[in-house]
Amino acid sequence: MNEWLIAAALLLLGLVPCGLVVLRGSIVEALVGLQMAGILQTVVLLLMAEGLHRPPFFDLAVVLALLSLAGGLVFARMLERWV
Amino acid sequence: MSASAIAVAILLTGGIVIELACCAGVLLAEDAYDKLHYLGPAAIVGPLLIGSAIIVRESFGQAGIKSLLTAVLLMIASPVLSHATARALYVRRRDHADDVTASPS
Repeated sequence: MNEWLIAAALLLLGLVPCGLVVLRGSIVEALVGLQMAGILQTVVLLLMAEGLHRPPFFDLAVVLALLSLAGGLVFARMLERWV
Repeated sequence: MSASAIAVAILLTGGIVIELACCAGVLLAEDAYDKLHYLGPAAIVGPLLIGSAIIVRESFGQAGIKSLLTAVLLMIASPVLSHATARALYVRRRDHADDVTASPS
């Protein structure tokens, strides 16, 4: 286990506060927690791709960064109009 | 221990500390507006430091360029998302306030 994978494992601990916010907060606070989790997961994918020496896996981080933006915008728009 | 290994360790540690501190901030802040403030450093400074660590290790190869691209994407996406979320919260509170203050007819 190299330093990149240790860093990825440490960052996964950050999902716990995000999960608590999603479960216990208001609906908009839950959206903020979801966005924070998306950022964390993107960085974890970067670290895992580097730690596992698999350069194609960096594409996953790029795709997740784009999809987090799209998903967050859809959720925000939905909260603004309908929920 | 080479200079590049020290630089990688410093950049990685800085990135992890910032990300985890922002997670704690999201958990501990009281209001959704306050929580939104912690998305900025988590999406800009943290990925930039970690992407820089990967670039120091891998130079500007496939891995370095893609990590830089990911950091730039997060850097662009974060203010847009924060604005959209803050606007959603503002609209919801405004509409709720209208419901509360409206006199029954």
